[in-house]
Amino acid sequence: MLSIRIGRWIYLSVNALVLLFMLAPIAIIFVFALNPTPYIEFPPVGVSLKWFDKFFASTQFMSALALSLEVAAMTTVAATLLGASAALGIARGNVPGSRAITAVMLSPLMLPAILTGLALFQTYVLLDVGRPLWGLVVGHCLVTVPYVVRTTLAVLHNFDMKLEEAARNLGASPQRTFFEVTLPLIKPGVIAGGIFAFIVSFDQFPVSLFLVSPGQETLPITLFNYLKYDLDGTIGAASVVSILLAALVVIGLDRTVGLRSYVKL
Amino acid sequence: MSEHRTSLNRRTFLAAGAALSVGAVAAPHVSRAQEAATLRITGWGGKWGQIMSADLIPAFEKEYKCKVITDTALPFLPKLQASPRSAPIYDVLHTNSNEQWAAVEMGLVEPKIDPKQVPNLADVYPFAVSDKIVGVSIFTSAIGLGMRTDKGYPPVTSWKDFWDARYAGARGGYVIPVNSLGQAFLVMCGALYGKGYTDLDAAYGALEKLKPMKLVDFTGAMEKMLLSSEVGICVIHDSGIYRYYDDKPPTTFVTPSEGVLALEQVLSLTPGSKVKELANAYVNYMLSPSVQKKLAQSVWYSPTNKNVKLDEPYSSMLMTTPEKVSKLIQVDWKWYNARKDEIDSRVNRIFRG
Repeated sequence: MLSIRIGRWIYLSVNALVLLFMLAPIAIIFVFALNPTPYIEFPPVGVSLKWFDKFFASTQFMSALALSLEVAAMTTVAATLLGASAALGIARGNVPGSRAITAVMLSPLMLPAILTGLALFQTYVLLDVGRPLWGLVVGHCLVTVPYVVRTTLAVLHNFDMKLEEAARNLGASPQRTFFEVTLPLIKPGVIAGGIFAFIVSFDQFPVSLFLVSPGQETLPITLFNYLKYDLDGTIGAASVVSILLAALVVIGLDRTVGLRSYVKL
Repeated sequence: MSEHRTSLNRRTFLAAGAALSVGAVAAPHVSRAQEAATLRITGWGGKWGQIMSADLIPAFEKEYKCKVITDTALPFLPKLQASPRSAPIYDVLHTNSNEQWAAVEMGLVEPKIDPKQVPNLADVYPFAVSDKIVGVSIFTSAIGLGMRTDKGYPPVTSWKDFWDARYAGARGGYVIPVNSLGQAFLVMCGALYGKGYTDLDAAYGALEKLKPMKLVDFTGAMEKMLLSSEVGICVIHDSGIYRYYDDKPPTTFVTPSEGVLALEQVLSLTPGSKVKELANAYVNYMLSPSVQKKLAQSVWYSPTNKNVKLDEPYSSMLMTTPEKVSKLIQVDWKWYNARKDEIDSRVNRIFRG
């Protein structure tokens, strides 16, 4: 009994330490954002919202935030459609070399993203198309599609094909079978992949570094440049807003599509 | 009949597809040909960027009936390197001097600017177009020592005071491989403790003796370290201290007796630029007294046009006279860049150990 209690205590302690390790940097960002001094100071000398005022009053930050949200939304839709379709094709299509195809689909995750960005930049320059918004979305899709493929394949791995066969035997068309049987069953993987795609795109720095066009910079790029010239609490405020937005997306999805029933933590 | 229609449709489809493809590829060229002249430049963010985009760039666009596209998202050099030499992504490259030397070595920028095309070049201090500069330096900061004035430290007059044992743990420096202020300081170490600016062994020995020292990678981070009292004395450029002049924090900039290192803001032209005339006009504009005064008094950079008359306190604090300018020490970046890998590897070992 004593050993169970000690084991439980160790288990809880390790979990608490892991949580502390993961959340401590976020706590420091909140302190930096709320501290009135333009540098990180411990203990904080007070609480002020002036950096949030500066962040929301800055047209540069606001347009960067809007662009980041726009790109993340487009990337999420495109990556989810592409990734889920690719996963279905790999899992169902009896495609020769499906393992090799899966490895290729996941390969952008293994490449340093900065090289992906540089390679795309050079491609756009050679095609003489400049640095268009769609080019940035393509770059983000390259690094987010693998997440959707992976999560959808994980769900398809345990998928009972007999359910689809039953639907077809009962007279359902392939389309109806897909929308009423297949899609609801693979939804958890697709949604989880979509969430990953949104968050990875919204926070994407290395790919965007080369692909943003002058005057149209995403929030992480704007933050990086701001950091180089004007390091102050506005960076903290922007980071807090980013964290809250990412959390909002997850909570919003939970409320609208009932994430908790799909994604078991 | 039906077969004929199918064949025609296929041909029409293929022709239309080909036309669309050609159109898609050609569209940027066609639309660009119809645009007003566009000048593509690089520039800083922060206060500099605000003044440029709100005031100085619109005035230039109006005067020259052109459009200026400013890229403020670093890194500039890899982007320029990735674009074709005959159609560079920038027409004017604005960086610090060390990057300009790297760019000229790769043939990405022209080594000099033609004084006939840029009349204001005749009015700049000699250091702005010296053999240590690619293109032209439009502004400079002075790299010296920054100090807290509330720590009871004795007056500092020499770079060598930085090595005083009382500052152990209170010194601030830069991650030398990624920061040009740190690189310039390393060269100064060679001159202080060795045979000259190229005495690297002496510089490494001097750096060893500075440990423990707090290092930052971003230039702007040092002023925050000084303001927050995380460091008591540091290598810093004068603008990093002077920009807080109105807030009156307990910090000061020291010009060491051996001289200050130049941190030049440099403009150069790319050889493949299609708007050379406009690019030269932009350089001339940036060197004009009114633009120089506006920027100098906003960001605390010393103008290189010797005819610029600054108001007080800028005039007395910045490098505005030949006597003050004679204190500037320019780093030989061509020499430094040729040894950068070796230097990086050595200083990494020093500060890791």
